[in-house]
Amino acid sequence: MWKPRPLLPVCRALFSGRVLVQAYRLFLVALVCTLTACGGGDSDEGGGMPSRGDDGLLPLRADVIDPGEFRSGGGNTVALSNTKAFSKNNPQLGFIDLAKFRSGDFEFRGQHIGLGPLFNNQTCQGCHKEDGRGNPPRDTDGDGETDQPMVSMLVRLSIPIVDIADSVVIRNGIQPEPTYGGQIQVFGGLDTPGREPVHDGSLSGRAEDVVGEAFASILYEHVSGQYDDGTPYELRWPTYRIRDLAYGPFDNDVQFSPRVASQMVGLGLLEAIPEDDLLSYADPQDTDGDGISGRPNMAWDAITESTRLGRFGHKATKPTLLHQLAAAYLGDIGITSSLFPNEDCAIFQPACEALAEEETHTGAEVDLEDFILALVEFYARQLAVPQRRGWNAAAQEWEPQIWRGRRLFFEAGCVGCHVPRHVTGEAEGSVLGEIADTLGELSQPAEPLPSLSQQVIWPFTDMLLHDMGGTCDVSREVVTPEEDTGRICNEDEEETESCWWVQHCDGLADGRPDFLATGSEWRTPPLWGLGLAQVVNERAGFLHDGRARTIEEAILWHGHEKSEARGAWEFFVGLDRSQREDLLAFLESL
Amino acid sequence: MCSFRQSRLMWCLIFLLGLGVFVFVGGCGSGDDDEEAQEPTPTIDRAGVVRTNADIAFAGYNDSLSTAMALQQAVDDFVAHPTNGTLQAARDAWLRAREAYQPTELYRLRIGPGPIDTLKDDGTLGEDGDGPEARINGWPLGEAFIDYVAEVAPELNEEDVLHDVVDGPDSAGSLDEPGAPMGNIIADTDMTIDKDTLKEFVEFGDDERNLATGYHAIEFLLWGQDLNARETMWTGADRDNTPGHRPVSDYSQDADCTSGEGNSRPAMICMRRAMYLQVVTELLIDDLQLLVHAWNPGGNNAGVVDYYAWYTDLSRTDVAIKKIMSGMGRMGYGELAGERINIAFRINSQEDEHSCFSDNTHRDIYLNVLGIQNMYLGNYAFEGEMIDGLGIYDVVKEADSDLAEELDMAIQTSLDLAEDISDLAEAGTPFDVQIQEMNETIRLLIIALRDQVGILVRAGEALGIDINEGDLQQDTEEDLGSV
Repeated sequence: MWKPRPLLPVCRALFSGRVLVQAYRLFLVALVCTLTACGGGDSDEGGGMPSRGDDGLLPLRADVIDPGEFRSGGGNTVALSNTKAFSKNNPQLGFIDLAKFRSGDFEFRGQHIGLGPLFNNQTCQGCHKEDGRGNPPRDTDGDGETDQPMVSMLVRLSIPIVDIADSVVIRNGIQPEPTYGGQIQVFGGLDTPGREPVHDGSLSGRAEDVVGEAFASILYEHVSGQYDDGTPYELRWPTYRIRDLAYGPFDNDVQFSPRVASQMVGLGLLEAIPEDDLLSYADPQDTDGDGISGRPNMAWDAITESTRLGRFGHKATKPTLLHQLAAAYLGDIGITSSLFPNEDCAIFQPACEALAEEETHTGAEVDLEDFILALVEFYARQLAVPQRRGWNAAAQEWEPQIWRGRRLFFEAGCVGCHVPRHVTGEAEGSVLGEIADTLGELSQPAEPLPSLSQQVIWPFTDMLLHDMGGTCDVSREVVTPEEDTGRICNEDEEETESCWWVQHCDGLADGRPDFLATGSEWRTPPLWGLGLAQVVNERAGFLHDGRARTIEEAILWHGHEKSEARGAWEFFVGLDRSQREDLLAFLESL
Repeated sequence: MCSFRQSRLMWCLIFLLGLGVFVFVGGCGSGDDDEEAQEPTPTIDRAGVVRTNADIAFAGYNDSLSTAMALQQAVDDFVAHPTNGTLQAARDAWLRAREAYQPTELYRLRIGPGPIDTLKDDGTLGEDGDGPEARINGWPLGEAFIDYVAEVAPELNEEDVLHDVVDGPDSAGSLDEPGAPMGNIIADTDMTIDKDTLKEFVEFGDDERNLATGYHAIEFLLWGQDLNARETMWTGADRDNTPGHRPVSDYSQDADCTSGEGNSRPAMICMRRAMYLQVVTELLIDDLQLLVHAWNPGGNNAGVVDYYAWYTDLSRTDVAIKKIMSGMGRMGYGELAGERINIAFRINSQEDEHSCFSDNTHRDIYLNVLGIQNMYLGNYAFEGEMIDGLGIYDVVKEADSDLAEELDMAIQTSLDLAEDISDLAEAGTPFDVQIQEMNETIRLLIIALRDQVGILVRAGEALGIDINEGDLQQDTEEDLGSV
């Protein structure tokens, strides 16, 4: 199935900055190497995987039961498997901490004063549905292309990096698209029902005309393949198409990266895994020859104003949860904070600027005070992980099918990236300060959080970047009710609304480098909660853009010929039906 | 010891009988171990506390049910003859129903959640979140999902706002869901309004605000939006002191039908609104009935799990004590201070107060604190009916009488402050205005609630129970579903 897809004949100039980009990446790689000594040379220990780092635990094995494994989040685990499974607090929280959690929960659900001028959704929960994943929009007329606005996913934007020394590049990891910035915001306005984009809708520069920036849709094409035993399968292959640009055309070299909102559970635990532990799994040169070369992303930390290991986001571009939250508040909801005090209007968006001036909080006054941000950070850190299903506590054993599937997961080499277990270090208190027990103010310094510290957790991720293969290409194509064949727009047509921007990719690539991550690299997503993702949000998809409708489809997308997971994919498609079911039963139990 | 309704005579007898049996069993059981025998026998009191607590649950849900039925009668009268008088009667009935329900919130949020959080429609217990709580008392409410709302823009004054009505979702998150209403449920004339449909709209589209049912939905349908405040966030103007202004004509099922003063609509819209109000009230009664069955001390549970029997089983006395006290702590600080009072107070947001349409938030707060005191003292009173049994106070007193008095005073302090807020509101300064004025009493209440849970934790320690620590495993997983 991974035959190259006939890309449309597009004549595209090589961007002039490519050489510089390569140099920048090499520089960052060298930086990482000095930090990690490019090591990770531990040899594999038979039957499972080594426990690297200094977690002090016995190595994990495919054939040895660990009685703690069902508690995916260690002490921060809850016994839930319903639609609320991702929404519970750490059970270790006392009454005072619970009040902080509830306050943060309320903020996470509610609207804020200062929404907009541009936004993707009005609340955090609107994207992170019931604290779970988002989903691609609907195709209501059944023509194969989504026709509703993206509300729990979005499309990130950039252009090739021209100047690596530009402070914008150093801080953002990308060169933002000059007119539209780092992402397409689908709605515009202030505290009113979101106004969707219209072609050239905000070119006037008048505040009252502010609408969303552009409309993105997904055209799904169904491709089929088969397992080695002849069983057929079908995947839906997305093409991203952008239209109704409200502020004029994109830069010719625009890059798109579609992203679906991530689940929220266990983030405080992932943040507390010691950096050294994660770096010990890095093997950028694949010195151990297993075909897997995990690389850390090194990203800008807006708080310390320095480059650090990236952990959060689909490409590990945010070093801390607080940074991630504040960036999402700004980019996705249009809420400014002390971390990001300026509204997300690009320099060519005067209408956005004009509307920003009408907000309640303008200038040096930000929308979200640090106190509220600290509550939301506390909430996000303390969301509990649901425990595994299928564990028989009395007999201390797994359901047989899950246990067989677990062995296959190890044998296939999935654990090379989806590292099952880590131990958290000391979870530091918020840099914003300690939330007073009267819920009134912040004070420095904040105490560490013992409820997240020294926990043995089972997230099934190494938090590193892995190359999943593939490339992308963006072209301008004519799309009208009469004509939708991929014909490239001519010069006259380029000015019209029937000339859309279309991104074709193969494999899982997005073609949009971000800090050290290339256009085909992704951070290994944690797998905990996997089997409940569609209980929590029944429309949730899998992978970075929700293209996979099932866990099985998600595995099948790992098989690009250039993918580091190609070996595991070959193992999977070579299994017989009952073995595949075993493996899926294991994944469903997560 | 207690004044009962006639119908409660039987379970009063069962209580006394149970107490007697326990004393008998306890007498037989002791003597095996000298050390144990020398200790006081606190478990007798503890079992009595649990039983009183279960009785209060039954009384609270039963009174909630009967006041909801009275509300239903008033709603039927109003819908049949929509006048200012019948509307006022329906609003009064709603306020009375809240007086009964709100103290029962102490049966939520416990360590090892109870029926309100876990009872499924089929009468068995599920997981936390499977219960009817969201359907009964879900909040905040995405009111734009149910009925028209006013479009609010900074430059509009209040009069303009009231005439500028929007039939559309206010949440981008609800736009793209299969089965979503066009505009809102009442405006979308293709949508059926019945109990099954409305049940589907609890947290619709996985947005917790998209609630179509419960007390606050009824409140919105009777009062409408409390618009006097929202735009003052922009203009800085003073808020007025009145709740929502839904006109009677919103229920005129003829040519006079409106969606807000002066916004004429086809009669069909008002008919749908009336139907919605009646259906959602009926659903509330169904849900409350389930809870009454579960807590019924007589063993007549109409196919619903006999939670009363499970809860009061003598083998679980300390589990139940932990439930009671953890509920007091979680409601007392996590829910009440953390979620309900603090945020509204902190960001001065009228939208974020609990009963924002009716301006009844002061009663919600007071009645929650009263519920805490009920748990502590083993008391319950509603419209002349009373329970005066054993409370947490009695067993703490046995262990440490100073501590018992200290906690008693702390809870009384909270209650007094909540009463001050309530009195101030009743005298014409509703909670949403109080938060705007940064009423010091509200801040003092938060502090009092904090102090109170600190003492509560110590009281737990005195009883040998760590009430601050949650369980990983839900103890309701014990074999209860088959009871």
